[in-house]
Amino acid sequence: MTFDFRIFSIMLAFLAFALAPAAVAQNRLGNTELNVPATLVAESQQVRPGQSVTLAFVMEPKPTWHGYWENPGDAGIGMSFDWKLPAGVTAGKPQFPVPDTLLISGIMNYVYKGDYAILVTLDLADNVRPGPLPVSVKSEWLSCTDEICVPEQDELSITLQVVGKDAPVSLDKRFNDFRAAMARPLGSEATFAVSDDRFRLSVPLPASVEIDDPYFFIKQDGVVDYGAPQKFSRDGDRLILETGARGDELDSITGILKIGDHIGFLLTATKGEVAMTGLPLANDGAKQQGSASILFLALGGALLGGLLLNLMPCVFPILSLKAMSLAKAGGSEAIVRRDALAYTAGVVLVATALGAILLGLRASGAAVGWAFQLQDPRIIFVLLALVTAIGLNLAGLFELPNLNFGNKLTRKDGAAGSFWTGALAAFVATPCTGPFMAAALGATIVLPPIAALVIFAGLGVGLALPFLLIAFVPAIRSRLPKPGPWLDGFRKAMAIPMFLTAIGLIWLLGRQIGTDALGLSLIFLLTVALILWWFGGGQIKGLSRGALTSAAMVAAIVGGILMLPGEEVMNSQKLANNSAATLPSEIFSETRLSELRASGQPVFAYFTADWCLTCKANEAAAIQRTETADAFKAARVAVLMGDWTRPDPDISRFLEQHGRAGVPLYLYYAPGQEPVILPQILTVATLTNLVNGPVQSAMIAKTQ
Amino acid sequence: MPNLPSLAVATIAIFALASPLAAAQKNGTLAQDFKLTDVNGKTVQLSQFRGKTVVLEWHNPGCPFVSKHYSSGNMQATQKAARQQGAVWLTINSGAQGKQGHMTGPEAKALIAKQKIQSTNYLLDGKGLVGKAYGAKTTPHMYIIDGSGTLVYQGGIDDKPTANTADIKDARNHVLAALNEIKSGEKVSVAQARPYGCSVKYAS
Repeated sequence: MTFDFRIFSIMLAFLAFALAPAAVAQNRLGNTELNVPATLVAESQQVRPGQSVTLAFVMEPKPTWHGYWENPGDAGIGMSFDWKLPAGVTAGKPQFPVPDTLLISGIMNYVYKGDYAILVTLDLADNVRPGPLPVSVKSEWLSCTDEICVPEQDELSITLQVVGKDAPVSLDKRFNDFRAAMARPLGSEATFAVSDDRFRLSVPLPASVEIDDPYFFIKQDGVVDYGAPQKFSRDGDRLILETGARGDELDSITGILKIGDHIGFLLTATKGEVAMTGLPLANDGAKQQGSASILFLALGGALLGGLLLNLMPCVFPILSLKAMSLAKAGGSEAIVRRDALAYTAGVVLVATALGAILLGLRASGAAVGWAFQLQDPRIIFVLLALVTAIGLNLAGLFELPNLNFGNKLTRKDGAAGSFWTGALAAFVATPCTGPFMAAALGATIVLPPIAALVIFAGLGVGLALPFLLIAFVPAIRSRLPKPGPWLDGFRKAMAIPMFLTAIGLIWLLGRQIGTDALGLSLIFLLTVALILWWFGGGQIKGLSRGALTSAAMVAAIVGGILMLPGEEVMNSQKLANNSAATLPSEIFSETRLSELRASGQPVFAYFTADWCLTCKANEAAAIQRTETADAFKAARVAVLMGDWTRPDPDISRFLEQHGRAGVPLYLYYAPGQEPVILPQILTVATLTNLVNGPVQSAMIAKTQ
Repeated sequence: MPNLPSLAVATIAIFALASPLAAAQKNGTLAQDFKLTDVNGKTVQLSQFRGKTVVLEWHNPGCPFVSKHYSSGNMQATQKAARQQGAVWLTINSGAQGKQGHMTGPEAKALIAKQKIQSTNYLLDGKGLVGKAYGAKTTPHMYIIDGSGTLVYQGGIDDKPTANTADIKDARNHVLAALNEIKSGEKVSVAQARPYGCSVKYAS
């Protein structure tokens, strides 16, 4: 015999277990011998009649061992549960966390490699008497390594305590983590199609949701070829999957769409038409193949985007004047070209550097997008000071010796001056990045870092392109208007778009830090302006105040940054921004809800998430509407909003209490009445009727 | 972007070809012919049994799910019943050398004697070529080929995917049911079922 003793002993052990029912008892006593031992724990030891309690099977695979998801994939077995429950107690369906894939020799396994927990909710009838409540369950599961499998079983039990309606119930905090590992219902229905051995699935998922290494775990067997590669593409608000099909007998399927490490959505799909459209996502082996074409497309998009950036109010003044200076009379060809190249270098370098920082932040796990620098008020403040200074310079308040925007026409600009002008243009241009750039920049997420950097550089090249054309095509240069006294007027006029950009940044800053802090920031901005004025005054008198000015400027800007408010203030500002919406809302909490209800105010509570398309559609079509806002205002309806974009245990529990595993959930609490659960698809009328018409008793929700 | 979808299709086609298990046989089509060596070193070819019903059984003696059906005698009984009907039963071991359940000829012969395995031939597929050609994923994984060489059943031995011998008595034995239907000239009612068990321990 070549197979080793361990396998032989496992066979013997199995044989013994199979032949002798008495072995079951041994298994229970010695469950530490299991390869994937299970422990049964309750979220709370105390439970009230008429309520529910969540139990967890905490599974702790030994190193190299794994357990299986409810659909094990090509091989393996799911877990079984045989409950022994007292009268009046019912067990719900087990909930499994988001699984991993394990592909061995082309055989796909859906597994859990590390510790995991399976949740089951027990419901107690109203008539369960207070006292001890013994619960036991016989469970069988399969434990495997990459090489061998061992069926394991255990009889687990726990004794809960039924307590009175008002007795305190303490919750086990670990359950927050267990719940966070569960897939959350997507809230919108998907569509699937099977034809020519291909399985396609179209999932409604907002384009803004970030996806990392997606995978669809299907619950039903016989539909999908588990081992086949899964190819994804995104087309606007839809995520489309194509993979191998096994059969075509079901009209409805369910499964988990995994979009990141332990992040997954439960979805239901019905049969329909699915076309493979949109931009393919690089995935597994398809990565190499798809990359070249994505890179090509995205690079084109970046070039075009960069080109259009030249027309943005924040860039145009700098560029147009620089262009004029290039076209200046008597400028030698060589110097013009050198300037243009230096300028291009400045632009490309800054664009690539911003891209590199973005990729670095992403790699460190931060959820940032392009223009990420505008999420930080400190950077906005610096940009604001910069844009204001440029505006003041254009307006003629002061002159700069090196950073020349075309004002000193007779002066021979150094290449360094051109380089820094380019760098400045690229930095200032980012707030104006057109939305059409999103797709091209989105592609940088799925491309390897080098390719992504090439795209950022392409953005820079596009931005510098008009310049290069002016420098290298004399025909264009000769068509530019001849510089003259009018140019001074033009330059001053160009201060207007610059100040407009400043106003835009002030608005942005105000949204983030609030008007109080904004006022303080503007005082620092005024200081900056005054310093520059003083500097300019010196220039007129022929005095050099450069060093002092620089020092004062640094002090003013650093002071401005230090005076910016902290995280806490910004969070409360976020809250205030909510109230700037058509229908203002407060952040949901159960405490706030009970406060409002106690005060006799009607409450509308809604639960949403950025990845939930149905939620967003309802908000746009029904909630954030003037009619709704007016009706709610007239009826003094308080609005609470729960954001479930990231798993929030309090919201999860609240949703569960209302029989929902996910968003959207819309609740209306008329004063002194049970809440009404509103339909998943809202209309303005549904909401306005709440406050205008009588509440239909049929819609009264079951409450705990 | 018009060439993107076609590019995507081309990519999929390449991966379909490259995937080792994608060549699974389809019911209603001619079953892939193969030649394998049995425990005595004799070459056995599928097409030599043309005219007879052939059952293929993927086997791994170390797998608890295989043990479920052998320790209970369920598999031997099914083999016996099949052969009494005049069917040929080929047990195939696709376990690679060094992996669980791999056997040499003499080892397999000893096992056949010990467990009273009733199959016509026990075939050794250590390279996994036949296993992958049939898309055999689990042990046991069953296939039935009718007299005309057409694949008429593939899937599990029964409909109770557990390792518990107690479940055998209430299970529907898909192989026995299909054989009886073939014998009486009927269409196989359950032609495809979920195979269950350990994964086949292929070399790669």
